[in-house]
Amino acid sequence: MEATVLDSWVLAEFSTPDALVTATRQMREKGFEGMDTYSPYPLHGGSEALGLPPSRVPFIALCGGLTGVATALAMQTWMNTIDYPLNIGGRPLLSLPAWVPITFELGVLFAAFGIFFGLLGLSRLPQPYHPVFESEEFRTASTHGYWLSVPQATGTDAAPVMDQLKALGATQVTLVTGEKE
Amino acid sequence: MSPPVTNSHTSFGPYTGTPKLMVPAFAVGILCLLATLGGFFATDAKGETAHAYLIGFTYWVGISVAFLIMQAIFHTAKAKWLIVLRRTMETASAVIPVFFVLALPLLAMAAYLYPWWEGSELTKGYSSLELEHLSHKQHGYLNNHFSFPPGVGLRHIIYFGVWSFAAWRLRSWSLKQDTEGGLDFTVKQRKFSPGVLPFLALTITFASFDWLMSLTPLWQSTIFGVYYFAGSFLAAFCILTIVTVNAQGKDLYGSVVKLDHFHNLGKLMLAFTAFWAYIAFSQFMLVWIANIPEEAPWYGLRMFGPWRSMSIALFFLHFLLPFGILLSRKLKLQPRKLAVVAVYLLIIHAVDLYWLVWPALTGDAGPTFHWSLLTAFFGVGGIAVGFALFLARGHYTLTVKDPYIAESLRYVQP
Repeated sequence: MEATVLDSWVLAEFSTPDALVTATRQMREKGFEGMDTYSPYPLHGGSEALGLPPSRVPFIALCGGLTGVATALAMQTWMNTIDYPLNIGGRPLLSLPAWVPITFELGVLFAAFGIFFGLLGLSRLPQPYHPVFESEEFRTASTHGYWLSVPQATGTDAAPVMDQLKALGATQVTLVTGEKE
Repeated sequence: MSPPVTNSHTSFGPYTGTPKLMVPAFAVGILCLLATLGGFFATDAKGETAHAYLIGFTYWVGISVAFLIMQAIFHTAKAKWLIVLRRTMETASAVIPVFFVLALPLLAMAAYLYPWWEGSELTKGYSSLELEHLSHKQHGYLNNHFSFPPGVGLRHIIYFGVWSFAAWRLRSWSLKQDTEGGLDFTVKQRKFSPGVLPFLALTITFASFDWLMSLTPLWQSTIFGVYYFAGSFLAAFCILTIVTVNAQGKDLYGSVVKLDHFHNLGKLMLAFTAFWAYIAFSQFMLVWIANIPEEAPWYGLRMFGPWRSMSIALFFLHFLLPFGILLSRKLKLQPRKLAVVAVYLLIIHAVDLYWLVWPALTGDAGPTFHWSLLTAFFGVGGIAVGFALFLARGHYTLTVKDPYIAESLRYVQP
Protein backbone atom coordinates (compact mmCIF):
# COMPACT_ATOMS: atom_id res chain seq x y z
CA MET A 1 0.00 0.00 0.00
CA GLU A 2 1.26 3.46 -0.88
CA ALA A 3 2.02 5.56 2.16
CA THR A 4 -0.15 8.66 2.53
CA VAL A 5 1.69 11.94 2.24
CA LEU A 6 0.92 14.08 5.26
CA ASP A 7 1.18 17.87 5.26
CA SER A 8 1.53 20.05 8.34
CA TRP A 9 0.84 23.65 9.14
CA VAL A 10 1.54 25.83 12.08
CA LEU A 11 -1.53 27.95 12.78
CA ALA A 12 -1.30 31.20 14.69
CA GLU A 13 -4.14 33.42 15.82
CA PHE A 14 -3.80 37.19 16.08
CA SER A 15 -6.24 39.49 17.82
CA THR A 16 -6.36 42.30 15.23
CA PRO A 17 -6.13 42.47 11.42
CA ASP A 18 -3.19 44.88 11.69
CA ALA A 19 -1.25 42.46 13.88
CA LEU A 20 -1.90 39.69 11.36
CA VAL A 21 -0.72 41.77 8.39
CA THR A 22 2.41 42.92 10.25
CA ALA A 23 3.24 39.40 11.38
CA THR A 24 2.70 38.02 7.87
CA ARG A 25 5.06 40.58 6.41
CA GLN A 26 7.73 39.88 9.00
CA MET A 27 7.45 36.11 8.58
CA ARG A 28 7.83 36.52 4.83
CA GLU A 29 10.89 38.70 5.33
CA LYS A 30 12.36 35.88 7.42
CA GLY A 31 12.02 33.61 4.38
CA PHE A 32 8.86 31.62 5.09
CA GLU A 33 6.93 30.69 1.97
CA GLY A 34 3.56 29.26 1.09
CA MET A 35 1.80 31.02 3.97
CA ASP A 36 -1.85 31.95 3.93
CA THR A 37 -4.05 34.31 5.91
CA TYR A 38 -7.60 33.73 7.15
CA SER A 39 -9.96 36.41 8.37
CA PRO A 40 -13.73 36.80 8.75
CA TYR A 41 -13.79 39.61 6.18
CA PRO A 42 -11.52 40.96 3.37
CA LEU A 43 -8.16 41.94 4.77
CA HIS A 44 -6.61 45.27 3.73
CA GLY A 45 -3.02 44.77 2.66
CA GLY A 46 -3.21 41.01 3.15
CA SER A 47 -2.19 40.00 -0.36
CA GLU A 48 0.63 42.58 -0.37
CA ALA A 49 1.93 41.16 2.93
CA LEU A 50 1.81 37.64 1.49
CA GLY A 51 3.64 38.85 -1.62
CA LEU A 52 1.09 37.30 -3.95
CA PRO A 53 1.65 37.80 -7.69
CA PRO A 54 -0.89 39.95 -9.63
CA SER A 55 -4.21 38.20 -10.00
CA ARG A 56 -4.90 36.31 -13.22
CA VAL A 57 -8.65 36.89 -12.94
CA PRO A 58 -8.70 40.09 -15.11
CA PHE A 59 -7.09 38.21 -17.99
CA ILE A 60 -9.64 35.38 -17.68
CA ALA A 61 -12.43 38.00 -17.58
CA LEU A 62 -11.12 39.64 -20.75
CA CYS A 63 -10.97 36.28 -22.54
CA GLY A 64 -14.50 35.52 -21.33
CA GLY A 65 -15.77 38.90 -22.53
CA LEU A 66 -14.21 38.51 -25.97
CA THR A 67 -15.60 34.98 -26.26
CA GLY A 68 -19.05 36.35 -25.44
CA VAL A 69 -18.75 39.09 -28.05
CA ALA A 70 -17.60 36.63 -30.72
CA THR A 71 -20.34 34.14 -29.81
CA ALA A 72 -23.06 36.79 -29.96
CA LEU A 73 -21.91 38.19 -33.30
CA ALA A 74 -21.58 34.74 -34.86
CA MET A 75 -24.91 33.56 -33.47
CA GLN A 76 -26.86 36.58 -34.69
CA THR A 77 -25.19 36.59 -38.09
CA TRP A 78 -26.01 32.95 -38.62
CA MET A 79 -29.60 33.24 -37.33
CA ASN A 80 -30.53 36.40 -39.20
CA THR A 81 -28.82 35.85 -42.52
CA ILE A 82 -28.71 32.06 -42.99
CA ASP A 83 -31.01 30.18 -40.66
CA TYR A 84 -34.11 32.38 -40.68
CA PRO A 85 -33.73 35.47 -42.84
CA LEU A 86 -36.52 38.01 -42.27
CA ASN A 87 -37.06 41.32 -44.01
CA ILE A 88 -37.72 43.85 -41.23
CA GLY A 89 -38.72 47.25 -42.55
CA GLY A 90 -36.42 46.86 -45.53
CA ARG A 91 -33.29 46.80 -43.40
CA PRO A 92 -30.34 44.78 -44.63
CA LEU A 93 -30.20 41.24 -43.26
CA LEU A 94 -26.80 41.99 -41.78
CA SER A 95 -27.76 44.98 -39.59
CA LEU A 96 -24.99 45.34 -37.07
CA PRO A 97 -26.50 48.19 -34.98
CA ALA A 98 -29.42 45.95 -34.02
CA TRP A 99 -27.01 43.31 -32.72
CA VAL A 100 -25.07 45.49 -30.39
CA PRO A 101 -27.35 45.06 -27.33
CA ILE A 102 -27.14 41.24 -27.49
CA THR A 103 -23.41 41.44 -28.14
CA PHE A 104 -22.96 43.70 -25.14
CA GLU A 105 -25.07 41.50 -22.87
CA LEU A 106 -23.32 38.31 -23.88
CA GLY A 107 -19.94 39.98 -23.52
CA VAL A 108 -20.81 41.02 -19.96
CA LEU A 109 -22.31 37.62 -19.13
CA PHE A 110 -19.28 35.65 -20.32
CA ALA A 111 -16.90 38.07 -18.61
CA ALA A 112 -18.86 37.53 -15.38
CA PHE A 113 -18.70 33.77 -15.89
CA GLY A 114 -14.96 34.12 -16.42
CA ILE A 115 -14.59 36.04 -13.16
CA PHE A 116 -16.81 33.71 -11.15
CA PHE A 117 -15.52 30.36 -12.36
CA GLY A 118 -11.99 31.68 -12.88
CA LEU A 119 -11.87 32.76 -9.24
CA LEU A 120 -13.28 29.43 -8.05
CA GLY A 121 -10.77 27.55 -10.18
CA LEU A 122 -7.76 29.58 -9.14
CA SER A 123 -8.73 29.28 -5.46
CA ARG A 124 -9.33 25.54 -5.96
CA LEU A 125 -12.86 25.87 -4.65
CA PRO A 126 -15.11 24.26 -3.65
CA GLN A 127 -12.88 22.49 -1.17
CA PRO A 128 -15.01 20.55 1.32
CA TYR A 129 -12.12 19.33 3.44
CA HIS A 130 -8.78 20.70 4.55
CA PRO A 131 -6.71 19.52 7.53
CA VAL A 132 -6.87 22.97 9.16
CA PHE A 133 -10.54 22.32 9.81
CA GLU A 134 -9.43 19.68 12.33
CA SER A 135 -8.36 22.43 14.70
CA GLU A 136 -11.19 23.41 16.97
CA GLU A 137 -9.69 26.84 17.73
CA PHE A 138 -9.42 27.68 14.03
CA ARG A 139 -13.21 28.08 13.87
CA THR A 140 -12.81 31.65 15.11
CA ALA A 141 -11.45 32.48 11.63
CA SER A 142 -15.07 32.85 10.54
CA THR A 143 -16.13 35.02 13.48
CA HIS A 144 -13.45 37.13 15.13
CA GLY A 145 -10.03 35.51 14.73
CA TYR A 146 -7.25 36.49 12.35
CA TRP A 147 -5.16 33.45 11.46
CA LEU A 148 -1.90 32.81 9.71
CA SER A 149 -0.85 29.38 8.48
CA VAL A 150 2.79 28.51 7.92
CA PRO A 151 3.68 25.24 6.16
CA GLN A 152 5.82 22.92 8.23
CA ALA A 153 7.61 19.78 7.05
CA THR A 154 5.78 16.86 8.66
CA GLY A 155 7.66 15.25 11.52
CA THR A 156 10.07 18.12 12.11
CA ASP A 157 10.19 20.18 15.25
CA ALA A 158 7.68 23.02 15.01
CA ALA A 159 8.73 24.72 18.24
CA PRO A 160 11.08 27.33 16.65
CA VAL A 161 8.36 28.52 14.25
CA MET A 162 5.81 28.61 17.03
CA ASP A 163 8.15 30.67 19.20
CA GLN A 164 8.74 33.13 16.40
CA LEU A 165 4.99 33.53 15.85
CA LYS A 166 4.41 34.06 19.55
CA ALA A 167 7.14 36.68 19.55
CA LEU A 168 5.24 38.48 16.78
CA GLY A 169 2.14 38.67 18.97
CA ALA A 170 0.21 35.48 18.24
CA THR A 171 -2.34 34.82 20.96
CA GLN A 172 -2.26 31.07 20.36
CA VAL A 173 -0.37 28.68 18.09
CA THR A 174 -1.13 25.12 17.13
CA LEU A 175 0.09 22.47 14.72
CA VAL A 176 -2.21 20.55 12.40
CA THR A 177 -1.27 17.55 10.30
CA GLY A 178 -3.35 15.75 7.77
CA GLU A 179 -3.89 14.56 4.26
CA LYS A 180 -4.48 17.51 2.00
CA GLU A 181 -6.63 16.07 -0.75
CA MET B 1 -3.57 85.71 3.96
CA SER B 2 -3.89 82.61 6.10
CA PRO B 3 -0.90 81.14 7.90
CA PRO B 4 0.81 78.08 6.45
CA VAL B 5 -0.38 74.71 7.64
CA THR B 6 2.28 72.21 8.59
CA ASN B 7 2.19 68.49 9.10
CA SER B 8 5.08 66.15 9.61
CA HIS B 9 5.86 65.83 5.89
CA THR B 10 5.00 68.96 4.04
CA SER B 11 4.30 72.56 4.69
CA PHE B 12 1.50 74.23 2.76
CA GLY B 13 0.89 77.90 2.31
CA PRO B 14 -1.80 79.55 0.23
CA TYR B 15 -1.13 79.34 -3.51
CA THR B 16 0.57 82.61 -4.38
CA GLY B 17 -0.23 82.22 -8.04
CA THR B 18 2.54 82.52 -10.51
CA PRO B 19 1.73 84.83 -13.40
CA LYS B 20 3.77 82.47 -15.60
CA LEU B 21 0.62 80.54 -16.45
CA MET B 22 -2.18 82.99 -15.85
CA VAL B 23 -0.89 85.85 -18.01
CA PRO B 24 -0.29 83.71 -21.11
CA ALA B 25 -3.67 82.05 -20.64
CA PHE B 26 -5.43 85.42 -20.53
CA ALA B 27 -3.32 86.75 -23.42
CA VAL B 28 -4.09 83.77 -25.66
CA GLY B 29 -7.71 83.89 -24.58
CA ILE B 30 -8.26 87.55 -25.30
CA LEU B 31 -6.34 87.57 -28.60
CA CYS B 32 -8.10 84.47 -29.91
CA LEU B 33 -11.47 85.75 -28.75
CA LEU B 34 -10.92 89.09 -30.51
CA ALA B 35 -9.84 87.24 -33.67
CA THR B 36 -12.99 85.09 -33.58
CA LEU B 37 -15.31 88.02 -32.98
CA GLY B 38 -13.44 90.04 -35.59
CA GLY B 39 -13.93 87.17 -38.01
CA PHE B 40 -17.63 87.18 -37.27
CA PHE B 41 -18.29 90.90 -37.51
CA ALA B 42 -15.80 91.85 -40.21
CA THR B 43 -15.79 88.94 -42.65
CA ASP B 44 -18.36 87.03 -44.65
CA ALA B 45 -17.68 83.79 -42.83
CA LYS B 46 -20.48 84.50 -40.35
CA GLY B 47 -21.86 80.97 -40.29
CA GLU B 48 -18.44 79.40 -39.79
CA THR B 49 -17.34 81.74 -37.01
CA ALA B 50 -20.70 81.51 -35.23
CA HIS B 51 -20.67 77.70 -35.25
CA ALA B 52 -17.02 77.61 -34.25
CA TYR B 53 -17.73 79.93 -31.35
CA LEU B 54 -20.64 77.76 -30.24
CA ILE B 55 -18.32 74.71 -30.19
CA GLY B 56 -15.70 76.54 -28.14
CA PHE B 57 -18.29 77.91 -25.74
CA THR B 58 -20.18 74.65 -25.14
CA TYR B 59 -16.90 72.76 -24.75
CA TRP B 60 -15.63 74.82 -21.83
CA VAL B 61 -18.89 75.66 -20.11
CA GLY B 62 -19.84 71.98 -20.19
CA ILE B 63 -16.64 71.05 -18.38
CA SER B 64 -17.17 73.75 -15.78
CA VAL B 65 -20.70 72.58 -15.05
CA ALA B 66 -19.50 68.97 -15.01
CA PHE B 67 -17.04 69.90 -12.25
CA LEU B 68 -19.95 71.34 -10.27
CA ILE B 69 -22.05 68.19 -10.73
CA MET B 70 -19.02 66.08 -9.80
CA GLN B 71 -18.66 67.91 -6.47
CA ALA B 72 -22.37 67.62 -5.76
CA ILE B 73 -22.28 63.89 -6.47
CA PHE B 74 -19.26 63.31 -4.25
CA HIS B 75 -20.77 65.35 -1.39
CA THR B 76 -24.01 63.43 -1.76
CA ALA B 77 -22.13 60.14 -1.61
CA LYS B 78 -20.11 61.46 1.37
CA ALA B 79 -16.99 60.32 -0.48
CA LYS B 80 -13.75 60.96 1.34
CA TRP B 81 -11.00 59.74 -0.96
CA LEU B 82 -11.24 62.70 -3.34
CA ILE B 83 -11.12 65.45 -0.72
CA VAL B 84 -7.48 66.14 -1.56
CA LEU B 85 -8.61 66.89 -5.15
CA ARG B 86 -11.72 68.87 -4.27
CA ARG B 87 -10.30 72.38 -4.29
CA THR B 88 -9.51 72.03 -7.99
CA MET B 89 -13.12 71.09 -8.71
CA GLU B 90 -14.36 74.05 -6.69
CA THR B 91 -12.11 76.46 -8.54
CA ALA B 92 -13.00 75.04 -11.96
CA SER B 93 -16.73 75.36 -11.33
CA ALA B 94 -16.44 78.84 -9.83
CA VAL B 95 -15.55 80.02 -13.36
CA ILE B 96 -19.19 79.57 -14.44
CA PRO B 97 -20.26 83.25 -14.13
CA VAL B 98 -17.59 84.17 -16.69
CA PHE B 99 -19.38 81.99 -19.22
CA PHE B 100 -22.48 84.11 -18.81
CA VAL B 101 -20.48 87.00 -20.24
CA LEU B 102 -18.85 84.76 -22.84
CA ALA B 103 -22.33 83.75 -24.02
CA LEU B 104 -23.17 87.33 -25.00
CA PRO B 105 -21.63 87.11 -28.51
CA LEU B 106 -24.05 84.27 -29.21
CA LEU B 107 -26.82 86.85 -29.09
CA ALA B 108 -25.43 88.43 -32.23
CA MET B 109 -24.63 85.06 -33.75
CA ALA B 110 -28.02 83.45 -33.09
CA ALA B 111 -29.46 84.41 -36.48
CA TYR B 112 -26.65 82.43 -38.16
CA LEU B 113 -27.03 79.43 -35.85
CA TYR B 114 -30.70 78.81 -35.13
CA PRO B 115 -33.43 78.48 -37.75
CA TRP B 116 -36.08 79.32 -35.13
CA TRP B 117 -34.54 82.72 -34.45
CA GLU B 118 -36.77 85.51 -35.73
CA GLY B 119 -35.23 86.94 -38.85
CA SER B 120 -32.98 83.94 -39.41
CA GLU B 121 -32.55 82.99 -43.04
CA LEU B 122 -31.66 79.41 -42.20
CA THR B 123 -35.25 78.29 -42.84
CA LYS B 124 -34.89 78.80 -46.60
CA GLY B 125 -34.83 75.09 -47.39
CA TYR B 126 -37.76 74.27 -45.11
CA SER B 127 -41.04 72.98 -46.54
CA SER B 128 -44.28 74.77 -45.65
CA LEU B 129 -45.16 71.92 -43.30
CA GLU B 130 -41.87 72.25 -41.47
CA LEU B 131 -42.25 76.00 -41.28
CA GLU B 132 -45.67 75.62 -39.77
CA HIS B 133 -44.35 73.17 -37.22
CA LEU B 134 -41.60 75.57 -36.29
CA SER B 135 -43.78 78.65 -36.00
CA HIS B 136 -46.83 77.10 -34.34
CA LYS B 137 -45.81 74.02 -32.43
CA GLN B 138 -42.32 74.98 -31.30
CA HIS B 139 -42.59 78.72 -31.04
CA GLY B 140 -43.75 78.56 -27.43
CA TYR B 141 -40.42 77.06 -26.40
CA LEU B 142 -37.99 78.23 -29.04
CA ASN B 143 -38.38 81.97 -29.40
CA ASN B 144 -36.35 85.10 -28.90
CA HIS B 145 -37.71 85.83 -25.45
CA PHE B 146 -37.57 82.72 -23.33
CA SER B 147 -34.79 80.66 -24.72
CA PHE B 148 -31.82 82.40 -25.91
CA PRO B 149 -30.67 85.93 -25.60
CA PRO B 150 -28.15 85.52 -22.83
CA GLY B 151 -28.96 88.21 -20.34
CA VAL B 152 -32.50 88.57 -21.61
CA GLY B 153 -33.65 85.02 -22.22
CA LEU B 154 -35.45 83.76 -19.15
CA ARG B 155 -34.14 80.20 -19.32
CA HIS B 156 -30.62 81.39 -19.80
CA ILE B 157 -30.79 83.42 -16.61
CA ILE B 158 -32.12 80.41 -14.74
CA TYR B 159 -29.31 78.15 -15.96
CA PHE B 160 -26.51 80.48 -15.05
CA GLY B 161 -28.26 81.54 -11.86
CA VAL B 162 -28.52 77.97 -10.58
CA TRP B 163 -24.99 77.04 -11.59
CA SER B 164 -23.32 80.17 -10.25
CA PHE B 165 -25.24 80.02 -6.99
CA ALA B 166 -24.42 76.35 -6.38
CA ALA B 167 -20.77 76.67 -7.38
CA TRP B 168 -20.10 79.76 -5.27
CA ARG B 169 -22.07 78.41 -2.31
CA LEU B 170 -20.04 75.21 -2.15
CA ARG B 171 -16.78 77.05 -2.74
CA SER B 172 -17.34 79.76 -0.14
CA TRP B 173 -18.18 77.19 2.54
CA SER B 174 -15.07 75.29 1.65
CA LEU B 175 -12.91 78.42 1.76
CA LYS B 176 -14.34 79.45 5.13
CA GLN B 177 -13.54 75.99 6.43
CA ASP B 178 -9.89 76.60 5.51
CA THR B 179 -9.63 79.18 8.27
CA GLU B 180 -12.33 78.17 10.74
CA GLY B 181 -12.24 74.39 10.43
CA GLY B 182 -14.89 72.28 12.07
CA LEU B 183 -17.58 69.96 10.86
CA ASP B 184 -20.29 72.58 10.24
CA PHE B 185 -19.32 73.45 6.69
CA THR B 186 -18.99 69.80 5.70
CA VAL B 187 -22.49 69.18 7.02
CA LYS B 188 -23.80 72.16 5.05
CA GLN B 189 -22.14 70.96 1.84
CA ARG B 190 -23.53 67.49 2.32
CA LYS B 191 -27.04 68.78 2.89
CA PHE B 192 -26.95 71.29 0.06
CA SER B 193 -25.57 68.96 -2.61
CA PRO B 194 -28.30 66.32 -2.88
CA GLY B 195 -30.86 69.13 -2.91
CA VAL B 196 -29.26 70.94 -5.79
CA LEU B 197 -28.45 67.86 -7.92
CA PRO B 198 -31.90 67.56 -9.56
CA PHE B 199 -31.72 71.21 -10.59
CA LEU B 200 -28.25 70.74 -12.02
CA ALA B 201 -29.45 67.74 -14.02
CA LEU B 202 -32.42 69.65 -15.42
CA THR B 203 -30.49 72.83 -16.24
CA ILE B 204 -27.67 71.06 -18.09
CA THR B 205 -30.25 69.03 -20.04
CA PHE B 206 -32.25 72.05 -21.13
CA ALA B 207 -29.13 74.10 -21.76
CA SER B 208 -27.92 71.41 -24.15
CA PHE B 209 -31.31 71.48 -25.88
CA ASP B 210 -31.14 75.25 -26.26
CA TRP B 211 -27.52 75.51 -27.32
CA LEU B 212 -26.95 72.40 -29.40
CA MET B 213 -30.08 70.43 -30.20
CA SER B 214 -32.04 73.43 -31.44
CA LEU B 215 -29.49 73.90 -34.23
CA THR B 216 -31.81 71.49 -36.02
CA PRO B 217 -35.07 72.38 -34.27
CA LEU B 218 -37.18 69.74 -35.99
CA TRP B 219 -35.06 66.95 -34.55
CA GLN B 220 -35.53 66.02 -30.91
CA SER B 221 -33.89 63.50 -28.66
CA THR B 222 -34.62 63.38 -24.95
CA ILE B 223 -31.30 61.70 -24.19
CA PHE B 224 -29.37 64.53 -25.85
CA GLY B 225 -28.66 66.29 -22.56
CA VAL B 226 -27.12 63.14 -21.11
CA TYR B 227 -24.96 62.80 -24.21
CA TYR B 228 -23.60 66.32 -23.78
CA PHE B 229 -23.14 65.74 -20.05
CA ALA B 230 -21.37 62.39 -20.55
CA GLY B 231 -18.74 63.92 -22.82
CA SER B 232 -18.29 66.93 -20.55
CA PHE B 233 -18.04 64.81 -17.41
CA LEU B 234 -15.35 62.64 -19.00
CA ALA B 235 -13.47 65.78 -20.06
CA ALA B 236 -13.71 67.13 -16.50
CA PHE B 237 -12.02 64.00 -15.12
CA CYS B 238 -9.33 64.39 -17.79
CA ILE B 239 -8.66 67.98 -16.75
CA LEU B 240 -8.61 66.97 -13.08
CA THR B 241 -5.99 64.32 -13.89
CA ILE B 242 -3.84 66.71 -15.91
CA VAL B 243 -3.98 69.44 -13.26
CA THR B 244 -3.18 67.00 -10.45
CA VAL B 245 -0.21 65.50 -12.30
CA ASN B 246 1.19 68.97 -12.97
CA ALA B 247 0.43 70.51 -9.58
CA GLN B 248 3.99 69.92 -8.37
CA GLY B 249 5.98 72.47 -6.48
CA LYS B 250 5.65 74.86 -3.60
CA ASP B 251 2.18 75.04 -2.04
CA LEU B 252 0.74 72.74 -4.71
CA TYR B 253 -1.16 69.64 -3.77
CA GLY B 254 0.20 67.25 -6.41
CA SER B 255 2.97 65.98 -4.13
CA VAL B 256 0.58 64.65 -1.47
CA VAL B 257 -1.71 62.88 -3.93
CA LYS B 258 -1.23 59.12 -3.75
CA LEU B 259 -1.03 56.64 -6.59
CA ASP B 260 -4.36 55.30 -5.34
CA HIS B 261 -6.02 58.62 -6.21
CA PHE B 262 -4.65 58.49 -9.73
CA HIS B 263 -5.77 54.90 -10.06
CA ASN B 264 -9.28 56.02 -9.13
CA LEU B 265 -9.18 58.89 -11.64
CA GLY B 266 -8.11 56.40 -14.31
CA LYS B 267 -10.95 54.09 -13.37
CA LEU B 268 -13.43 56.97 -13.57
CA MET B 269 -12.07 57.92 -16.99
CA LEU B 270 -12.56 54.34 -18.13
CA ALA B 271 -16.08 54.27 -16.70
CA PHE B 272 -17.13 57.50 -18.37
CA THR B 273 -15.57 56.54 -21.70
CA ALA B 274 -17.90 53.56 -21.57
CA PHE B 275 -20.77 55.74 -20.32
CA TRP B 276 -20.38 58.12 -23.26
CA ALA B 277 -20.44 55.20 -25.70
CA TYR B 278 -23.46 53.70 -23.96
CA ILE B 279 -25.43 56.94 -24.20
CA ALA B 280 -24.26 57.70 -27.74
CA PHE B 281 -25.29 54.28 -28.91
CA SER B 282 -28.61 54.35 -27.05
CA GLN B 283 -29.51 57.58 -28.81
CA PHE B 284 -28.39 56.29 -32.18
CA MET B 285 -30.03 52.90 -31.98
CA LEU B 286 -33.48 54.16 -31.03
CA VAL B 287 -33.47 56.60 -33.92
CA TRP B 288 -32.03 54.07 -36.34
CA ILE B 289 -34.38 51.24 -35.48
CA ALA B 290 -37.52 53.40 -35.46
CA ASN B 291 -36.48 55.03 -38.73
CA ILE B 292 -39.22 57.65 -38.74
CA PRO B 293 -39.01 60.69 -40.99
CA GLU B 294 -38.78 63.38 -38.29
CA GLU B 295 -35.90 61.70 -36.50
CA ALA B 296 -33.87 59.90 -39.13
CA PRO B 297 -32.41 62.86 -41.07
CA TRP B 298 -30.13 63.99 -38.22
CA TYR B 299 -28.38 60.63 -38.29
CA GLY B 300 -28.93 60.16 -42.01
CA LEU B 301 -26.75 63.18 -42.61
CA ARG B 302 -24.04 61.72 -40.39
CA MET B 303 -24.34 58.10 -41.54
CA PHE B 304 -24.23 58.54 -45.30
CA GLY B 305 -22.14 60.77 -47.48
CA PRO B 306 -19.08 62.68 -46.37
CA TRP B 307 -19.79 62.54 -42.60
CA ARG B 308 -19.85 58.73 -42.57
CA SER B 309 -16.14 58.17 -42.05
CA MET B 310 -16.06 60.68 -39.20
CA SER B 311 -18.98 59.00 -37.43
CA ILE B 312 -17.29 55.61 -37.68
CA ALA B 313 -13.99 57.13 -36.59
CA LEU B 314 -15.68 58.58 -33.49
CA PHE B 315 -16.79 55.11 -32.43
CA PHE B 316 -13.23 53.84 -32.62
CA LEU B 317 -11.40 56.93 -31.36
CA HIS B 318 -13.83 58.10 -28.67
CA PHE B 319 -14.68 54.66 -27.38
CA LEU B 320 -12.82 51.56 -28.50
CA LEU B 321 -9.26 52.93 -28.46
CA PRO B 322 -9.38 54.81 -25.11
CA PHE B 323 -11.42 52.02 -23.56
CA GLY B 324 -8.84 49.42 -24.57
CA ILE B 325 -5.98 51.58 -23.35
CA LEU B 326 -7.62 52.47 -20.04
CA LEU B 327 -8.40 48.82 -19.27
CA SER B 328 -4.74 48.39 -18.38
CA ARG B 329 -4.14 48.54 -14.63
CA LYS B 330 -0.46 49.30 -15.16
CA LEU B 331 -1.26 52.42 -17.16
CA LYS B 332 -3.62 53.78 -14.53
CA LEU B 333 -0.83 53.52 -11.96
CA GLN B 334 1.46 55.77 -14.05
CA PRO B 335 0.13 59.33 -13.60
CA ARG B 336 2.18 60.86 -16.43
CA LYS B 337 0.95 58.36 -18.99
CA LEU B 338 -2.58 58.70 -17.66
CA ALA B 339 -2.31 62.44 -18.26
CA VAL B 340 -1.33 61.77 -21.88
CA VAL B 341 -4.48 59.70 -22.35
CA ALA B 342 -6.42 62.54 -20.69
CA VAL B 343 -5.06 65.05 -23.23
CA TYR B 344 -6.06 62.69 -26.03
CA LEU B 345 -9.59 62.39 -24.63
CA LEU B 346 -9.87 66.17 -24.34
CA ILE B 347 -9.03 66.52 -28.03
CA ILE B 348 -11.48 63.83 -29.05
CA HIS B 349 -14.20 65.50 -26.95
CA ALA B 350 -13.71 68.65 -29.06
CA VAL B 351 -14.04 66.52 -32.19
CA ASP B 352 -17.25 65.08 -30.75
CA LEU B 353 -18.74 68.57 -30.31
CA TYR B 354 -17.62 69.48 -33.83
CA TRP B 355 -19.48 66.38 -35.04
CA LEU B 356 -22.61 67.59 -33.21
CA VAL B 357 -22.50 71.18 -34.44
CA TRP B 358 -20.75 71.44 -37.78
CA PRO B 359 -23.12 69.28 -39.89
CA ALA B 360 -25.83 71.86 -39.15
CA LEU B 361 -23.66 74.35 -41.05
CA THR B 362 -22.18 72.45 -43.96
CA GLY B 363 -24.72 69.66 -44.39
CA ASP B 364 -23.95 67.39 -47.32
CA ALA B 365 -20.74 69.26 -48.07
CA GLY B 366 -19.14 67.31 -45.24
CA PRO B 367 -16.46 68.21 -42.74
CA THR B 368 -14.62 71.43 -43.44
CA PHE B 369 -12.05 73.34 -41.48
CA HIS B 370 -12.18 77.00 -40.58
CA TRP B 371 -9.49 78.89 -38.68
CA SER B 372 -12.05 80.19 -36.19
CA LEU B 373 -12.50 76.65 -34.84
CA LEU B 374 -9.07 77.00 -33.27
CA THR B 375 -9.36 80.63 -32.23
CA ALA B 376 -12.78 80.09 -30.63
CA PHE B 377 -11.55 77.01 -28.78
CA PHE B 378 -8.46 78.71 -27.39
CA GLY B 379 -10.25 82.03 -26.93
CA VAL B 380 -12.94 80.71 -24.60
CA GLY B 381 -10.52 78.18 -23.10
CA GLY B 382 -7.77 80.71 -22.42
CA ILE B 383 -10.11 83.03 -20.60
CA ALA B 384 -11.68 80.19 -18.60
CA VAL B 385 -8.30 78.75 -17.58
CA GLY B 386 -6.88 82.19 -16.83
CA PHE B 387 -9.84 83.02 -14.62
CA ALA B 388 -9.58 79.69 -12.81
CA LEU B 389 -5.92 80.42 -12.03
CA PHE B 390 -6.90 83.91 -10.90
CA LEU B 391 -9.49 82.43 -8.51
CA ALA B 392 -6.96 79.94 -7.15
CA ARG B 393 -4.63 82.71 -6.00
CA GLY B 394 -4.48 83.37 -2.29
CA HIS B 395 -6.14 80.11 -1.31
CA TYR B 396 -4.82 76.71 -0.37
CA THR B 397 -4.69 74.22 -3.22
CA LEU B 398 -6.27 71.59 -1.02
CA THR B 399 -8.93 71.78 1.65
CA VAL B 400 -6.53 71.93 4.58
CA LYS B 401 -9.04 71.88 7.42
CA ASP B 402 -11.61 69.48 6.05
CA PRO B 403 -12.30 67.05 8.89
CA TYR B 404 -11.67 64.12 6.54
CA ILE B 405 -8.57 65.43 4.77
CA ALA B 406 -6.31 63.10 6.77
CA GLU B 407 -8.36 60.11 5.67
CA SER B 408 -8.14 61.25 2.10
CA LEU B 409 -4.37 61.68 2.32
CA ARG B 410 -3.81 58.13 3.50
CA TYR B 411 -6.46 56.65 1.24
CA VAL B 412 -5.84 53.05 0.21
CA GLN B 413 -8.16 51.69 -2.40
CA PRO B 414 -10.02 48.57 -1.45
